[in-house]
Amino acid sequence: MRVRRAWHWNTPRPHSWPEQGAVVPAPPSDLGWARVEPVRSIRYLIQRALLLPFTEAMVHPKVEGREWVRELERPVIFAANHSSHADTSLILHALTDAARERTVVAAAADYWFKRPFLGNVVSLFLNTFPFSRTGGAQAQLHSSSQLLKSGWNLVLFPEGSRSADGRIQEFKPGVGFLAKETGTPVVPMHIRGAFQVMPRHQKLPLPGPIRVRIGKPMTPAKNEGTREFTARVETAVRELSAEQRKPELQGTWIERWRASKPRDLRYES
Amino acid sequence: MPRPGAVIEVDRNTPPVLFHYGEGIRLEKLPLGARIVYPPDPLEPITHPERAIKRALAKPLEDDPLKSLLRRGMKLTIAFDDLSLPLPPMAAPDVRQLVMEEVIDMAAEAGIDDLHIIAALGLHRRMTNDELRHIVGDRIFSTFHPDRLYQHDGEDPDNNVYIGKTSAGEEVTLNRRAAESDLVIYVNLTLVPMDGGHKSMSTGLASYRGIRAHHNVKTLLGSRSYMNPPDSALHHSCIRQGQLIEDTVRVFHIETTVNNHAFPAIANFMQKRETDWTPQDQAMFLATKQMTDIAPPAFKRNVFHAMRAPYGLTAVNAGQVDAVHDKTLDAVNKQIAVQVEGQTDIVTIGVPYLGPYNVNSPMNPVLVVCMGAGYLFNFYRKQPVLRKGGVLILTHPTRYEFDAVQHPSYIDFYDEVLADTKDPAEIEKKYELRFAEDPWFRQLYRKSHAYHGAHPFYAWYWAAHAMEHAGDIIIVGGDRDVVHRLGFKAATTLEDALEMAEQTVGRYPSVTHLRTPPIMLCEVE
Repeated sequence: MRVRRAWHWNTPRPHSWPEQGAVVPAPPSDLGWARVEPVRSIRYLIQRALLLPFTEAMVHPKVEGREWVRELERPVIFAANHSSHADTSLILHALTDAARERTVVAAAADYWFKRPFLGNVVSLFLNTFPFSRTGGAQAQLHSSSQLLKSGWNLVLFPEGSRSADGRIQEFKPGVGFLAKETGTPVVPMHIRGAFQVMPRHQKLPLPGPIRVRIGKPMTPAKNEGTREFTARVETAVRELSAEQRKPELQGTWIERWRASKPRDLRYES
Repeated sequence: MPRPGAVIEVDRNTPPVLFHYGEGIRLEKLPLGARIVYPPDPLEPITHPERAIKRALAKPLEDDPLKSLLRRGMKLTIAFDDLSLPLPPMAAPDVRQLVMEEVIDMAAEAGIDDLHIIAALGLHRRMTNDELRHIVGDRIFSTFHPDRLYQHDGEDPDNNVYIGKTSAGEEVTLNRRAAESDLVIYVNLTLVPMDGGHKSMSTGLASYRGIRAHHNVKTLLGSRSYMNPPDSALHHSCIRQGQLIEDTVRVFHIETTVNNHAFPAIANFMQKRETDWTPQDQAMFLATKQMTDIAPPAFKRNVFHAMRAPYGLTAVNAGQVDAVHDKTLDAVNKQIAVQVEGQTDIVTIGVPYLGPYNVNSPMNPVLVVCMGAGYLFNFYRKQPVLRKGGVLILTHPTRYEFDAVQHPSYIDFYDEVLADTKDPAEIEKKYELRFAEDPWFRQLYRKSHAYHGAHPFYAWYWAAHAMEHAGDIIIVGGDRDVVHRLGFKAATTLEDALEMAEQTVGRYPSVTHLRTPPIMLCEVE
């Protein structure tokens, strides 16, 4: 299409032009209101009273490796496979209370925030923030890194969108970039069964067996590139899907035992 | 200072006494002059269980401190008792969890990579994951399950090894992992004197081949009673097997005992003597009685089986098996022993809703026999409370009610075997092996949550001594057809049962009521 003469970038769009497509990034709002009181307390009540009991009743998820998120010393990125809208609830269910309260979820800006009302409601429930999955996303990555730096854990689905057939897709390098830029550990997670419970184009979830497996936090090496680290995270998530436990990913029993040590011993006077 | 057990003679002022009646309760007036035997009050529990456990592991009996036995690179196995004890299941945290957490802490400190934890369930059913989690706690379950925390399978041909024969010719088998370990640590919970000691390993980690050596009619008839190990042929056999096991593998034994605080606050009246009932206890009794009278059985079962006992740890000992078990028996007897003078013509017992083999399932008729005429009758030392040829009166609804998942072999046992004969010796000879080797029962035991095919036979043998000793056994309130199939007599009320009993033991019989649970052990002079 030819640009009309005498048209300037700061003038309204001509009516004859097509609507803005999904490729255009959403307006840069990080929904800060959702991360301050009293919204946090309201969200806590909503999650404890509705979301978590509903998740538990529907699918009774089996969580392995919760010890790795029991007492996180610093913010982390949770990187999980993505095959269903149920994934976010399942991840939040798998986290400990302390970790869940300090966790934000990266939600596709062009999908969830296309309708502002929906975006805000979802943010109230799940503490989401708009995350662009298209080009020109430096600003978005910057706001994510700001969240990490201010102490929030970040749930990220590095595949970018839900899998069409339940299989894990190639990871986008954003997760590696964020981890490298902020020096944040990445906790690989694998969710098995979510695709059967609520695949694409299905409105309501069905009951079914779910397993959420959490791996040992991974930190990028000094001389490791963004793409190499992303590939390592992707391999870890893929390997977590295997039936057998992998001590190198999930830790030896001694590491897991130490990680799960409660802060206060019972019966101590 | 908790009160010891007591024997009360019924007079005009004695209030009606509580009888357990399956998933229900009754108050019954006993005839004047009858005796009521009450268990001792719960002993004071240890205030700091974790300190006591640490101390026991650091200063074991006739063994080196556990820390010195653990070294990097060794093959370590921890085995623990299954959910058949304690009854009702203990409110979290279970003492086995506390002990195992200490042991695992030590193993982690020593850097032992090769650690497995095995539920020593013998021929009992596999526990569900939630039941297993309740015993071992969240931390152990999430760290070790399923690859390093699993349940013993007595029918797995690859994972059981034959160790040899004892001097008396008893075959001994053991879980392969335990047999090949450098050290086996057994974590036991002893509620009654029958448990623990060498019986833990020789039964919990054995296969049918090893267990049938002592779980048979001859041995059980030679045990007077099996609740008193020195007079129990069952335990003598287990000790012989255990000694052979000790020659094969290094065993470090940890035994714990709990008090008899068996009921939570809401059912505290079951714990107390009737004379001690407060207005709240009376109100709770009335509410429970009304509920159990009108509620459907499945609802009542859910309510009763949801109860968790607030047991308190009373002793923890570690070290060499025999030395530890002697101390444990002392601690158990201190809690449950009651002095009773002389035998009586009639003994009455209320059979409760729960026995070792029906946790989270109904008590089927065979288990009613096992519980009433087996366990509860055998809680004695020296001689039974019931005289030879006397009448044993039990109260239980005894319905034709089976859990098809947990007790499939019990259904066939009831329908096929008991229709033919009630004689334990004949049953053993004619049917046991067929049931034990039935491929479908074997499959259900291994992969589902079913008791082993031979288990109903053991439940029946458990009562062999009572059946031989008693002139008659009457079940009050039991379904008539079912009670007759069991070979007993049915009565509608306790008065009728006493009247029927007089035909066997004569006019004006002496009557003793054992007010249990909580558990007690009658020392009959």
